[in-house]
Amino acid sequence: MKNEYRVAIIGGGIVGCSVAYHLAKFGESDVVVFEKDYLSSGSTGRCAGGIRQQWSSPHNVILAMRSVSLFEKLSRETDIDIEYKQGGYLVLSYDDQEAVQFEKNVQMQRELGLDVQIFTPRQIKERFPYVNVHEVRLATFCQTDGHANPHLANFAYARAARKLGVDILTHTEVVAVEVLHSGFKLFTNKGAVRSQILINAAGPYSREVAKMVGMDLPTESYRHQIMVTEAVKNFFDPMAISFSGNFYMRQTKHGHFIMGQGDIDEKPGLNNNVTYKFEKEMARKMSKIFPFLSKLRIVRHWSGHYNMSPDAQPIIGESPKIEGFYYAVGFSGHGFMLAPAVGEAIAQLILLGKTIEVDISELNINRFEKGIVREKNVV
Amino acid sequence: MVKTDFLIIGGGPAGLCAAIEASKRNVKTLIVDEGVELGGQLVKQTHKFFGHEGFYASVRGFEIAKRLISELGENVTVMKQTTVTGIYEDVITAYDREKDLVIEIEPKYILISVGASERFIPFENNYLPGVYGAGAVQTLMNQFKVLPGRRVLMIGSGNIGLIVSYQLLQAGAQVAAIVEIADRVGGYQVHADKVKRLGVPILLRHTIKKAIGEEKVEGAVVVQVDENFNMIPGTEKEFAVDVICVAVGLVPSVELAHMAGVKIEYIPELGGYVPYRDSHMRTNIRNIFVAGDLAGIEEATTAMIEGRIAGLAVSQEITGQNLGFELEKMQEELIEFRSGPFSHKVRKGLERFFPQYVRDYSKNSQRDLGPATKLRPIIECYENIPCNPCQTSCPSGAITVPGNINSLPVIDYSKCTSCGICVMKCPGLAIFMVQENYQPGKDLVVIPYEFLPLPEKGETVIALDRDGEEVAQAEILKVVKSANKTHLVYMLVPAGLTQTVRGFRIPQKAHSLVCRCEEVSVEEIEKAIDEGYTDYEELRRYLRIGMGPCGGRTCRVITLGILARKTRKNIKEIGFGTFRPPSMPIKFDSIIKGEIKDEK
Repeated sequence: MKNEYRVAIIGGGIVGCSVAYHLAKFGESDVVVFEKDYLSSGSTGRCAGGIRQQWSSPHNVILAMRSVSLFEKLSRETDIDIEYKQGGYLVLSYDDQEAVQFEKNVQMQRELGLDVQIFTPRQIKERFPYVNVHEVRLATFCQTDGHANPHLANFAYARAARKLGVDILTHTEVVAVEVLHSGFKLFTNKGAVRSQILINAAGPYSREVAKMVGMDLPTESYRHQIMVTEAVKNFFDPMAISFSGNFYMRQTKHGHFIMGQGDIDEKPGLNNNVTYKFEKEMARKMSKIFPFLSKLRIVRHWSGHYNMSPDAQPIIGESPKIEGFYYAVGFSGHGFMLAPAVGEAIAQLILLGKTIEVDISELNINRFEKGIVREKNVV
Repeated sequence: MVKTDFLIIGGGPAGLCAAIEASKRNVKTLIVDEGVELGGQLVKQTHKFFGHEGFYASVRGFEIAKRLISELGENVTVMKQTTVTGIYEDVITAYDREKDLVIEIEPKYILISVGASERFIPFENNYLPGVYGAGAVQTLMNQFKVLPGRRVLMIGSGNIGLIVSYQLLQAGAQVAAIVEIADRVGGYQVHADKVKRLGVPILLRHTIKKAIGEEKVEGAVVVQVDENFNMIPGTEKEFAVDVICVAVGLVPSVELAHMAGVKIEYIPELGGYVPYRDSHMRTNIRNIFVAGDLAGIEEATTAMIEGRIAGLAVSQEITGQNLGFELEKMQEELIEFRSGPFSHKVRKGLERFFPQYVRDYSKNSQRDLGPATKLRPIIECYENIPCNPCQTSCPSGAITVPGNINSLPVIDYSKCTSCGICVMKCPGLAIFMVQENYQPGKDLVVIPYEFLPLPEKGETVIALDRDGEEVAQAEILKVVKSANKTHLVYMLVPAGLTQTVRGFRIPQKAHSLVCRCEEVSVEEIEKAIDEGYTDYEELRRYLRIGMGPCGGRTCRVITLGILARKTRKNIKEIGFGTFRPPSMPIKFDSIIKGEIKDEK
């Protein structure tokens, strides 16, 4: 650890590591990442690894499409196999109103250049015979959606960033920040460091980190539980997901099924415990929709956090009040899949003062002054 | 009371074939069988059969059973798990084990095709658990998929001893040695060659002296014998084994035949006490027939022919049809099969009942090894056994088994297209292919291979000679998978070894696993730590340590130890990670069932 860096990033999840990697790739390697625990210990390492472009908000679609083109190159670029598979996302709707909305979404997604299909229950059955389509209204499907191993993707960015000269310090917690006339002074459990620029990529801890510089970020963390089964032979290509049905599931490269759901009774706050209620609800619901699951065994169950923003879209940009303070937070459960594009955009914003591939200006905090249009496609 | 025209006791190869012939002629037939499935010993046989296509040559025994069963007509009734317990003056009784009741049967004709039981030999401590008959080993291993032990000593080098040794090796056990009291191998040379090239020694003029162990077999003492089969003191050898498998022959099961009044004679060439019967398999009792091993210990093909003869003879009497032509054809098959030297004993034994005939066969084996520049088969078949799939499978007519089926095959290399089908088909795995100077300094050898895992293209393996000795390193050129599970492995060996290399071994990767669920080795963990993954949780996520069904019960502590050593930290300073529920894998169904019970 040096005494001074141009850029300091708080958070060693995939967002922090992606920002660090892209800064270094564009020529700025005077960067440090502070991770209070170990790499991927927060939301990244607990997520299901889905990579989806089918959103109801155009910003999310654009960001996700850019992410997909970066994910496609990531294994080659970093020399770590991130187990990326474009098996598609099958989005099932069980609700008439939602089905109507899906058709509108698909139109918007197609206008943005995304190849999305609409399947009737019969078409779903033909293509994915292992899905029980009882009560399904329709499904949308995008083949270029997919999934990857979040740990490996996180490690891939970290390793590539380190190779380019970035310092990534684990078990190094930033406990306080002093906003200087120009730049910041960070107090960590391993000593103090100065930086010109400070980036908040702290995932579930984003609000606490913002408070250190005196900013109130409107983010709140909610626990989400998730579980994985024993491995079986690979046969299930897509990520299957439903907002009205409240579930998602995919099969990993190693053959395990990983799945989860949301819980509307969940209170905001940090909580890493798990409930048996979750397993009971999942067992019943999932083995009905995917009958082959009934004989499979659950091997592990854990929880992580969605860092929610008021409209379920990420908050990305530079603080209008504190110069040099950037954030990429409030991903609302979708940080993993957006991390490549967001990392690239933030790096460009810092180094060039503007982004090139995607416009993220609408995603800054001041959007909430105009009112809130909530992203609907969230489990 | 069950009434039937034709009762067949024992649904092995003989009984099934009799039933097929009877059912073709609409004879109401009942098969009573002890087993959980029909087929007798066939269901345990995983090797390809000798013979010719008409009697399923080159097909594996359990598959022959399936084919025979599929040929049974609707007029055949089957009682499984049922044992005929007596042939009384008034009635025949059978005990149904599933229903736990005794059934009475009144048939017009009876075929007793109950086979044989295993011969046993006395030796010290032969009552210890771990001493098995070869049939029991086959039942456990091939029918119920249970390996009786890890390391086996086989007593007896007849075909059963050789075949079961090979199957034990296929199933992953070790065979310490095959012990044979005679001065030559009892079974076919091709079967012996199969186990020899896998490195199993065959100890001739040896026998077992005792089993070692208190509660179960832990070893065996083997001793040399003189020409009078007396043990020679001071020649004892000890083997550390957990199974002693006894394969010293079979004894016809004559109990039921004797109860029924069939004349029993002592004919050692047929296996000891055997029932009298004529060439149509009829005993001295007009309506009682015998076939298969009960009629004389032989093998499955002749059992099938005898079964067909009995089935035809019974059908002829019941239906009044003249089946003379069909019977004549089957008699000719028997003569054909029994003309070779291995049937000498059987012929001698049967001479006691009726005259025996033989057909001439050729003893000329292939001598020319063919043109070195061509990929071509080398046939290592030097014994006159009744078998000809090499001839019948060859698409270009290059291989001939001249005259009688016991003749040796010869090959016309100018007609051979190097297709390899004969290599896949040969039941004795006695055909290889070679080509000299395939690449500069490299010869090509093609091996028939029936083990898992298959080697992969490009993999380096250790080439073995006919005695299983290592001779060189070889490179796998390609693997041709075959539907009959005799796969062809093409490998490159150093020049000059085409007539030496006859097998290979995949070298064991010498690594010690830390996480046995996900197969993560010490080396992989050390490498990951060197790459900078210095947290237990990072290692877990990077290498999948502890992500298997056990949840890291054993590997966690070992990994922490490696981490402490490599990072020079005290183990207390390293986070030990998280334990996640459930602590054992739980089925979705079990959760749902519990919930439903709760609701009630």
